[in-house]
Parts: sequence; C-alpha cells; structure tokens
Amino acid sequence: MGQTDEIVTFIQEHCLWQFFSRTWDREDNIKNVLSLTFKILTGEPFKCETADERCHFANANSLAAEMKEALPWLEDLPRKDLGTVLSRVKDSLEDITVKHSLNAELNQPSY
Amino acid sequence: MPMKLLECDTLIPEREKHIYIKEAGEDTTQYLPLSDSATIPGSLSERGCAFCGAKLVIGGVLKDTIQMIHGPFGCAYDTWHTKRYPSDNDNFQLKYVWSTNVREKNVVFGAEKLLKKSILESFDEMPVIKRMIIYTTCSTALIGDDPKAVARAVMAERPDVDIFVVECPGFAGVSQSKGHHVLNMAWIHEKVGQVEPKITSPYTINFIGDYNIQGDTEILAQYWKKLDIQVLAHFTGNATYDECRGMHRAQLDVVNCARSAGYIANELHKSYGIPRLDIDSWGLSYMATGLRKIGDFFGIQDKVEALIAEEEAKWKPQADWYKERLKGKKMAIWTGGPRLWHWTKAVEDDLGMEVVAMSSKFGHQEDFEKVIARGREGAIYIDDGNELEFFEVLTMVHPDVIFTGPRVGELVKKLHIPYVNGHAYHNGPYMGFEGFVNMARDIYNAINSPLWALAGQNIQEGDL
Repeated sequence: MGQTDEIVTFIQEHCLWQFFSRTWDREDNIKNVLSLTFKILTGEPFKCETADERCHFANANSLAAEMKEALPWLEDLPRKDLGTVLSRVKDSLEDITVKHSLNAELNQPSY
Repeated sequence: MPMKLLECDTLIPEREKHIYIKEAGEDTTQYLPLSDSATIPGSLSERGCAFCGAKLVIGGVLKDTIQMIHGPFGCAYDTWHTKRYPSDNDNFQLKYVWSTNVREKNVVFGAEKLLKKSILESFDEMPVIKRMIIYTTCSTALIGDDPKAVARAVMAERPDVDIFVVECPGFAGVSQSKGHHVLNMAWIHEKVGQVEPKITSPYTINFIGDYNIQGDTEILAQYWKKLDIQVLAHFTGNATYDECRGMHRAQLDVVNCARSAGYIANELHKSYGIPRLDIDSWGLSYMATGLRKIGDFFGIQDKVEALIAEEEAKWKPQADWYKERLKGKKMAIWTGGPRLWHWTKAVEDDLGMEVVAMSSKFGHQEDFEKVIARGREGAIYIDDGNELEFFEVLTMVHPDVIFTGPRVGELVKKLHIPYVNGHAYHNGPYMGFEGFVNMARDIYNAINSPLWALAGQNIQEGDL
C-alpha cells in the first residue's frame, strides 16, 4: 500500500469529520483539517482566530498525533513530499466521500 | 458480488440492495446499502415509527416536561419505560405517562377540546411543572386536529407555561429517524434562542446526542466538572426544557449521536456559527481522543491530559483484564444505526473482539459510509434487517454475543445465544472510561454465563 493509501485508510477508519451530512460540510472539513495537519506536522506557525478554525485545529491536532504514532514513516518525510502526499490524500478523500459517494442525501439543500 | 441476497429473501429480491459483505480493496463508492427507505412488503421489519423517534428517543428524556401524547393510550404506553434514562430529579420523566386517550367519538367529532382539557388537567395535577411537549399521533393527524392552535390558546391563558408541539405522526416517515429530524428542526426554529443561559465558565458547550442511558450523562458530567466546562444543554440527557432553549450561547457543539441529533448541530452552526465537533463517547481510546479534541479547542490541554491519565490509571487495567479474555470473540451489533460505527472499532481496538455482523434499523447512508469505513472485511452490513435474515446471518457468522434490543434479543435467547441490550444496556452506563469497563463486563458475563447451556437442558423428571 502506498503512502497516500495508508493515510486515506487511516483517516477513513478514524475520522468522523469526513462524513458530515452534506457535500459542503465535508469539503470544508477535508480542506481545512488537512491543511492544518500539514502545518502541525511540519511545525509551520499558524493562528486560529475563529471558532471554526479552532474546531478544525482540534481535529487536525488529534489526527497528526495519531498518524505519527501509527505511521512512523511520516516523521522522515521531507516537507515537500508530505505536501504532495497530503494533497493526494485530500483528492482521494473528496473522491470517496463527495464526488463518487453513493450517499443520496449529500446534496440535499437543507439539513 | 458484495451485495448479498440471502436465501431467506428469495421471494423479496429487493432486499439485496440492503445487505453488503465487505471484501478486500472495496470502498463505499462501489457499494453502499440502500437505507432510510420504505420497508419492503413481506419483510418483517424491526423498526419503530416516526412518532417513537421523536418521543421515546429525544423529547421524552427531558426531566421537567409533561409529555402529552395526543392519541390512543397505546401510543403513550408503548413509548414509555422501554428505555432507561434516569434523571437527577427523582426520575420524573420515567414515573409518569400522559395521554389524551383518544377514542372513536373523538375521531368522529374532533379531539381538540379533549386535548385542551388534558393539557389543563395535567398542569393542574402537577402544578410545579410548567413545560410540556405535545405529540400528534396517526389518528389525531389524520382527523386534522390543530394542536399548535390549542397550545397557543393554553399559553395565552397561562403565561407561565410553555408548550412545544411535535407534529410527527407514526406514518410520517419510514422509521423512527423521521421523528428525530422533525423534533430537531422544530426545536431549533421554534424554541432555541428564547432563554438566555447564565454563563458560569469561560468554556461552554452543548453536548448533543446523548440521552443519559443508565447514567451516561452523569459519567460525562464528571469530566466536564473537572475540566471546568459548562454544559449549557445536554440534548437531551438529564436536561431541562429551558436548558435546551439556551443552546445558541454555547461556544462548541460536541456531537455524539450524529444520526438522532446531527440536524440541530448543523442548524446551530448555520444560524449561530457554533462549530460542530463529532466524537465517539464509547471506548477508552475514543473517549481520550474526544476529550483531547475538546481540550485543543479550548486550549486546556494540560487539564485534559491530567484527566485522561487519572481515568486510564483507574479503568484501563480492568479493561485489559477483559481484553485478555475477550480476544477473538465474535460480536454482532444489531441496533439503531450510530452504535454500529461507534462500537465496531472500539470493541476491536480496546477489547480485541471481532465484529462480524451489523444491522441498522434506521441508519442513513451516511451511517453506512462510516461503519463500512471502520468495519472489518468479511463482516455483514444490513439495513432494516428482518427476523429471517437474522437467523440466516447467525448460521453464517456464529457470533459469541449479540448487542441488540429486547425484540431481537428474545429471538436469539431462544437459540441460547447471549445477547446484551444494545439500546438501554444491561448494567450501564457504558459511556466514558468507567462505562466501557461496564460494557466489557456485560460482554464477558454474557459470553461466560452457564445459563445458556443450562437453558438447553431438558429438566423434566419422569414420564409425562
């Protein structure tokens, strides 16, 4: 299994934020949690100024910590490669949970 | 051929779309059981009705509220006492049941006068109680009663009372899930924002989708107290009516049961900007992760780590004792919907068990996306399972223990297979660190009880 697939499998098994009720919620969570996960893993400074950002940080921080334990090769991955892998992870998660999802409720306009 | 037509379903082949067996390399873009759809005629469903979803699951938990069931008394009795959600005010909500007891003459001549009389009588009999939920049922919905008009008239006469009306008769949806939805949406639009809560902590949350089953809420309340987190509203475990009217002031919505109450969390985000954080409250690892996320949100990581260390020191050795003895035991989870995905990895990771079959009564496809992502290969995933399917699945996977409700539980008891009440628990609470040890103990006791073998013995003496 490749690096991208390992991370996707890990996230699929562990994270509820990718499965929110509607397309726009899933896309927002996937984009923001993975973006912050990258910053946490690479030590890049960031600020969380809104409540939504702090919530994404809470999810990202747990993900980063759990992935470091479960996938130790992450620590040795150069920053650039990590960015590439997480970008592929984002695409793959969006494919599974949004674009190609068979969930018929995803695009209903109201909750 | 991962979608599976069981032998017992030969005459109802539509059932194939509802049953999935996971194979290596598959994901939910390829196969996802059809769910939240009408039960197929000929399939003996275990589902409840939409009214039940509103009353029994959510509204009926409130500890200071008269639950006026506008219909024949059976609708009231059958949604009373079948779930054990205590409260810290001497279990008011479990001690009483209210019904307008609609009869044939009311169906012919209307039942609004009867409803008003019942409301006034109830408030008069219980003068301390000032809050009420009225539920329509199939009969009163069909005759066209207007319970909202009646409620408005009563509130005009008695300004100290507040009444919420849930118009969700049993036939309104395909399962109890519709009742969850109707109550959530009506509550956010009609009641949230009417009460300003007194804020006593810099950290405020709503805890959404926990119903204090056998004291779950009390376990969690210990954690919030240690973390100095104020819960403005539990939706709805051990909660009051007015606490849930003040949900709009929380900084964070922590969601456990996303199926029954994800709607209100989504709406609170949309209307008030409160972020939604989904966690799993069952399982040692999951609970620790959930608490860490809350700690990260509020910036109180040190307090959270101290709490987790204290709880793990107390409960992990006991969980490990059970893990050693439950390793490799096979479990089936046949419950409502979310507990499939809450529990499958929790019992596998923390107790070493293997979850081999899961069935959901009212889960949506979102729930199946979650559980298939988390569940093991080879496991059977069923939507709206029927009795014959359960029997057939037993011969396919041979579970050592089944988590399900009393209805299916009675079936499997006759086969001398241990069952644990997956809805109301055997000896809970099951949430949190302590709760998960209770759950492990109930699994261990069920599997190792000598009663199952004894029950199969013929104890008759002499000839008939």
